[in-house]
Amino acid sequence: MAAVTHQAQAIELSGSRSIEAANDHELLAAIRDGDELAFQEIVRRYRNPITNFVYRMLDDYDRSVELAQETFIRVYTSASRYQANYSFSTYIYRIATNLAISELRRRKRRKTVSLFSPFTNDDGEAVEIDPPDLNILQDEALIRNERRSAVARAITSLPPKYRAAIVLRDVEGLSYDQIADALKLSEGTVKSRINRARNLLKEKLSAYI
Amino acid sequence: MKSCNYIKERIDEADKPNLLSFEVTEHISECSDCERFASDRSALRMLVASGTRVSAPINFNVRLNARLAEVKVRRSFRWLGSPGYLRLGAATAGLVVMVFAAQYAGLLKDQSRLTDSRGQQAAQTPKPEQFGYPTLSPEVPRSSNLPVVAASGRRYPVYSGTTAPRARRGDLAVSGVAPASYLTAEDGGVVLVRGQNGDMDVQMPTVSVGAQPLLYVRASQRAVRNIGTSF
Repeated sequence: MAAVTHQAQAIELSGSRSIEAANDHELLAAIRDGDELAFQEIVRRYRNPITNFVYRMLDDYDRSVELAQETFIRVYTSASRYQANYSFSTYIYRIATNLAISELRRRKRRKTVSLFSPFTNDDGEAVEIDPPDLNILQDEALIRNERRSAVARAITSLPPKYRAAIVLRDVEGLSYDQIADALKLSEGTVKSRINRARNLLKEKLSAYI
Repeated sequence: MKSCNYIKERIDEADKPNLLSFEVTEHISECSDCERFASDRSALRMLVASGTRVSAPINFNVRLNARLAEVKVRRSFRWLGSPGYLRLGAATAGLVVMVFAAQYAGLLKDQSRLTDSRGQQAAQTPKPEQFGYPTLSPEVPRSSNLPVVAASGRRYPVYSGTTAPRARRGDLAVSGVAPASYLTAEDGGVVLVRGQNGDMDVQMPTVSVGAQPLLYVRASQRAVRNIGTSF
């Protein structure tokens, strides 16, 4: 009896080792065959990056967690349709981006007005009126927090199309061609959007640069 | 020397803001504008990257598995919830119910009328000669399912099956004129209306728009009678 249990544990361990060593495409193939462990491994690998990415897009942690979970549910349910033409990271970021942009559009339809951006510029985009606090703060942690929240606000004030591109590039570190695949855009368009987003961010964050 | 626009593009596209190619570093060592641009971009990218990185909560997997279980249950019933399928099914079911309801209503109505008025109208049954339609000649072969009846100087194909007459197409709407006693299953007669009668097509003279004589063939007497007008 003990020998049987030991043997079962050995099989399980070797299975888990092989799953950890497997690449994303192999894991997706296993998910297609109904392997729950493979799905858990995918979740383990991508839950933090996806949650962080969606959080940077929305600046709303609870909703970001929900959308990150929705992303994994879509990965699971559409595993049979997944084609290994692109890297899996591109694929999952595409799902997350679509969900985040849909959420932003939903919010826009609700016509919520941020107290930070009651004004719009000539292009109809929200203009953040947030004068920098010029007082000298002694606490380094407070400065860091202030800077982080300013960056978060600056990113969330960008139009969604620029926001997705800049977060994927400068926060998640994806390459231009990966971003192009994730957003279904040409590489030239991605470069143009990132350049435009950086110029906008430079204006908004000039006090911190 | 490369143009400043080209160099700025290279600076912008660099994978790491502090890892610039040789041609870029060579250029910015001589161009203060591009040097400032590279410095700004580097600071900006580091600032953006330095923002708070959040992680998934501890119970992420538990909540995900719970949601996934719900999705699996929903997916197992997805065929039922398909809007197109549901709409088509509802439409078909509705149509079937309507057809059956109409048929049963007609049959019940016919049945009650036949039962109630048979005794009362038996005495008032008009004589066959009153209608002026010819009696079927005895030489019409009885085995044929398609005897020919001459009516009003014209000849019409007539179905004379031995099955019970099925009340169709308003034949009972003229029950005040039509003797119910003719409409019995026992005598093997049949009510004729213009159009399809069983598997036979019957043509009838139209007396007015939407109205036509309602003929009746009684198998036992082999006589054609006008029992009213069908609308």
